[in-house]
Amino acid sequence: MLQLVRAGARAWLRPTGCRGLNALAEEAVPQAAKPESVASAGPQVPVLRRCELPVPAPRRPVQAWVESLRGYEQERVGLAELHPEVFSTAPRLDILHQVAIWQKNFKRISYAKTKTRAEVQGGGRKPWPQKGSGRSRHGSIRSPIWRGGGIAHGPRGPTSYYYMLPMKVRVQGLKVALTVKLAQDDLHVVDSLELPTSDPQYLTELARYRRWGDSVLLVDLAHEDMSQNVVAATSGLKTFNLIPAVGLNAYSMLKHQTLVLTLQTVAFLEEKLLWHDSRYTPLYPFRLPYRDFP
Amino acid sequence: MAALSVSGVTRRGLMWIVLGAPRREFWSQFRKEKKPVVAETVEEVKEEPVLVCPPLPRRTYIPPEDLQRRVESCVKEIFGSSVPSNWQDVSLEDGHLKFGLLVRLADDLGHAVPNSRLHQMCRVRDVLDFYNVPIHDRSKFDELIASNLPPNLKITWGYWAVQKRKC
Repeated sequence: MLQLVRAGARAWLRPTGCRGLNALAEEAVPQAAKPESVASAGPQVPVLRRCELPVPAPRRPVQAWVESLRGYEQERVGLAELHPEVFSTAPRLDILHQVAIWQKNFKRISYAKTKTRAEVQGGGRKPWPQKGSGRSRHGSIRSPIWRGGGIAHGPRGPTSYYYMLPMKVRVQGLKVALTVKLAQDDLHVVDSLELPTSDPQYLTELARYRRWGDSVLLVDLAHEDMSQNVVAATSGLKTFNLIPAVGLNAYSMLKHQTLVLTLQTVAFLEEKLLWHDSRYTPLYPFRLPYRDFP
Repeated sequence: MAALSVSGVTRRGLMWIVLGAPRREFWSQFRKEKKPVVAETVEEVKEEPVLVCPPLPRRTYIPPEDLQRRVESCVKEIFGSSVPSNWQDVSLEDGHLKFGLLVRLADDLGHAVPNSRLHQMCRVRDVLDFYNVPIHDRSKFDELIASNLPPNLKITWGYWAVQKRKC
């Protein structure tokens, strides 16, 4: 309801007729040229999205269809331009591998621990004298060559596998993942994640009709923007997952076969990921407040 | 003692019954009012149009013989009458025109340009080349079986499944 009210308010503030012309004219000016939702417009008016951030001269933006989830056959509602530095960067599979393995391992704490010969109970006394008994010489019954003895080189205590890759490497990993998804036709841009029903079967049928694959990752801008229908539908499904834009990561993108982004998410990602290309090195960590942090 | 306690319980039980009955009758009115309201809303929800999934579109695409004529007519419709004789070199820079042309062709021919190749469609010539390529839905093995193989090469489909069943 709130989204419809907001969309209606926005439609009132900007006339829908000259939306396309405005978008064309504001190419160089980095204004928020967000196209309005197609709630009031008919099937004739396309939803066009231009890159808000400047594209360097020799490169040209990549494009993707803007789809809609409201009907099975609404597969081409508009055309979105995507920034080439984010969606068409060099396919650095080594960086993608590094980032995916880092995501898997940095949270790992292995709790395996074995006892050494000093920690195993007993074994302080020499079992038999050094010479005379005919048996081999031993100093304690808990040495590693004994049955029931300690382990010589076993896992020692909880070990942490924490390490951090440089921030720019992680950012580049995200860009490469998005590039790979687009290049392999697994990326879909949607005007908004609004469904006509909250039935999970509708979503599965839609994915089957559009040949998206077995697992789909739906990304919205924030938890507040997610409509009730899509939340209810995805909570009933195991392979269709809904995350906010800040939760996007390379491992999830590789795990799911298809990635579905909204237009707002695309703008958010472009702004956040491109800032790192031209930022100064931090004088103090970024987690502390900055005045001009995006 | 026991008799007294039993009588006390029964008296209290009677008291409860006496007090509870009018209360139940009092609240039962509200319960009856609520039930029909809930039933109506449930029925309204079920009466909404049920979304039926249309049949899956075929992935096979064979370019028709009059492809050039169809593309030319679409170009003339979208770009209007101001189309030069070299209509294949018309640029698709404008978002509206590109969208209109590609959507018209996709609906007409049943085959759309995928996202990964949209940025390569700069001129109408690129679109024409794209639509000239046929798309088959067969797997690689089926294609190999259908093609001319040398006489000493045999392809057995499902070989490992048979082996597993034997073991």
